[in-house]
Amino acid sequence: MRMTRSARLALLSAALPLAACSSLGGGEYGIGDYNLVRVHRVEVGDGGMTVVAPRPWNERRRSILFDDVRDVEDWTLNGPILDGISFVSGMKSGRYLIRQRKSADQQVPKFRADMTPPEIVAMLESLYRVLGGAVEFRTLNLQPRPFLGAANGFQLDYEHLDSDELWRKGRVVGAVIGDRLYLVMFDAARSHYYNAALPDFEAIVGSAQIRR
Amino acid sequence: MRKVRLALALTLGAALSGCVETRQYADVQFTPPQGDYKLLVLRPDVTVGSITTGGMVEPRADWTDQARAGIVAALRAQQAERGGHVQIIEHRNELAGVTPDELADVERLNAAVDESIVIHKYLGDYLPTKRGRGLDWTVGDGAIQLGRKTGYDYALFLHAEDQVASTGRVVLGVLGAAGCIVGFCAPNIGGATQLDYASLVDLKTGEVVWFNVVRAGSQVPGIKFGDLRTPQGAAQMVERLLGRMKPGLAIRRAQAAH
Amino acid sequence: MCARCLELSRRSLLVGGGIGVAALATGTAQARIRPADMVPLIGPGFRPTDKDEQGLWKEMERAEEEIAGSNLLIQDPELTGYLKNIIGTVGGPAARDFRIYLAHIPDFNAMMFPSGFAVVFTGLLLRMRNEAQLAGVIAHESGHFLRRHQIRSWRDQRRKSDIFAIGAMMAGVGGAGAGVYLGDYVQLAQLGTLLSLFQYSREMEAEADAMGARLIADAGYAPVEMANIWEQLIGEEEASARYRRKRRRRGGLFDTHPSEGSRMVDLRADAAEVTVPGRAYNACRERYLTTIGSIRPMLLDDQVKLNDPGASQYLIETLARDGWNGLLRFYEGEVWRLRNRHGDDLRAAQSYAAAVVYPDAPADAFRWHGISLMKEGRGPEAKAAFARYLTMKPDAPDAAWVRQMMG
Repeated sequence: MRMTRSARLALLSAALPLAACSSLGGGEYGIGDYNLVRVHRVEVGDGGMTVVAPRPWNERRRSILFDDVRDVEDWTLNGPILDGISFVSGMKSGRYLIRQRKSADQQVPKFRADMTPPEIVAMLESLYRVLGGAVEFRTLNLQPRPFLGAANGFQLDYEHLDSDELWRKGRVVGAVIGDRLYLVMFDAARSHYYNAALPDFEAIVGSAQIRR
Repeated sequence: MRKVRLALALTLGAALSGCVETRQYADVQFTPPQGDYKLLVLRPDVTVGSITTGGMVEPRADWTDQARAGIVAALRAQQAERGGHVQIIEHRNELAGVTPDELADVERLNAAVDESIVIHKYLGDYLPTKRGRGLDWTVGDGAIQLGRKTGYDYALFLHAEDQVASTGRVVLGVLGAAGCIVGFCAPNIGGATQLDYASLVDLKTGEVVWFNVVRAGSQVPGIKFGDLRTPQGAAQMVERLLGRMKPGLAIRRAQAAH
Repeated sequence: MCARCLELSRRSLLVGGGIGVAALATGTAQARIRPADMVPLIGPGFRPTDKDEQGLWKEMERAEEEIAGSNLLIQDPELTGYLKNIIGTVGGPAARDFRIYLAHIPDFNAMMFPSGFAVVFTGLLLRMRNEAQLAGVIAHESGHFLRRHQIRSWRDQRRKSDIFAIGAMMAGVGGAGAGVYLGDYVQLAQLGTLLSLFQYSREMEAEADAMGARLIADAGYAPVEMANIWEQLIGEEEASARYRRKRRRRGGLFDTHPSEGSRMVDLRADAAEVTVPGRAYNACRERYLTTIGSIRPMLLDDQVKLNDPGASQYLIETLARDGWNGLLRFYEGEVWRLRNRHGDDLRAAQSYAAAVVYPDAPADAFRWHGISLMKEGRGPEAKAAFARYLTMKPDAPDAAWVRQMMG
């Protein structure tokens, strides 16, 4: 079962000292969910891909406790409400991008190796609508773009209106190589935050290498 | 002004007895506004209600009106003391030169930014890249445009909330606090509780230059402090929130060096 | 992955009240409430005089201001005007006082707030088959207001929560017992939290049904259409559950049995009772289909992309009772494609091939048809389909990719 943010934060608050009138937040070196990503080549996801960030980013810690998918890794600069880059590092055919109950009424479709880019786009759109609270989703652009040495790569640009009334904008660069899915996904608030981190995204995509 | 719901609901259940906590963060280069500046206060969000034994919040129109009037008066007085011109906007269509939609867009992004600040600064979900950088968030170009169109230097987003306990609530207070540890929080139990926060945006740069959360809680009803329904309580809240604005880290260091 | 996706669940945003949620089932089954007994308890221009109700209205005024300014609303004047006309017709004494908003949310729901404004979700418009059904939902919600259910339920809960508070807190039950803030309404999607404060008893739901039947019959709508709504909803939920291999589950801690079935039965009896012999009643299907026609593609799109194949297929087949067309065959194909079970790619291909024959086939049908043909190795036909797609949609966002596929 997916752990919600509230449950995760409740665990965090339990771990912090509960002295009477403890200061709100214990300073900036306490337990958090994020590791620092330094400016050198790192593996992402389960290691199927490596990238170099142009400046330090924050990587969301993953663990079985939080029910994450091994091939997927999330980074952020200002917090996931405002911006984020996600990596899919060679996910196999038949797998899902997120964990979900088989009996859930609405579901994100699974990835299949014979998917064309429009089908991958549709899978991502469902992800945002079913799980991300998007009430509108617009594809702005879908074009071929070589990625990780594959000529059949693609670039997707989109924007979506979420149920917190904020428009967000995104870009995805990806390819299916050897029946596995490789993606770098960037999503951020359309106002300011998308433009601010787009150069980082492009640098990261440019640096991406596949690891077999 | 939007309220930061989920994140703050969790913090309120933690056990406190008769203490006021206030924690502010400022941009490292922040100097509290002084002298001849123009401040926009956007849609102050004030609610006062009564808590029944069952924990339901029963809103009271008359109390809310009193508190709102009190806060507005206290705001004006406080800012007048510092020098500066204050305009308080209650509805989105009251700001000359800016359409309600334009204002709404700034508010929406500001809400997302405020929520991020609370989560990543106050609630322990720290972002390593922000360490030691004071307040490192911006509302961006939308806020700068707002400043240009209206001629204001700063925008203040303000939320004040006060619940006053009806009788019989004390018994359940302790249970509520305990419940919070295991993930279920029963906010505002046990007595008068006040949650106020404010964020100050510099409209020349779009950056959030100052953010403050005040949380006052008492386990024992009867100890009333900061009762927003009274002028003194309102003034006290405003003073706690805004009156003690501290300069940012770099400024303090520079000042210390002299 | 979609970093916020792990934090949110759409469903969780919409728990709460409105017509889309089964009523609390407290106690034994009720005797049917007679429409003739349902007299409005308020008149035109009503304003509250009790302190607690005044407080509630004040909060609701702020909620309405936020909702009216929300970018989740659909502002098309033809649609909003249509809804206003309906509530102006079936709103009883408060007809002139009501406000009504249309929110772009793909769920079946409509709700009335204590200060006399209603919100209807676009998911409702996909599921109503005619104007009488839509009027029935709106009249039902108006009934809650005219019979003062919100303030009654609020006061009931205040009383009850005093009794149950200790138990509730020990059990960790949310809702009123957990001190839900009234301040939690500022975003449209948080309506569920707000509405959880106004949960109606079964008796209140029965009153609203009976009053609704009376209001729409008085306005000349066929009252039996209200019963049909529930029959349709049950059908959809069964189809959805059947696909996921589970029983149709009615949510809620306090439900002891599904309420739709009994409501349907009672509404049929209500309809018989309010029908005046010799009077003509209408379902107003044509006008409804014409007005909603402009957004039907969007409604289908929103529904199908949630990937609930059982429900989506049921809804498409229901619409297809009037006859299949390009739009419906296309979305049928989309349901299979997203479902993506073994053999679904073939089913989808067949639906797309069927869709493109119709004159109203959307441009996207040709693109998906082209992709299916390409996967089957039928290159020249695929190229023709792609060419047709680009002719229909020269500025298609994926034109660059499609051109590459054409070679």
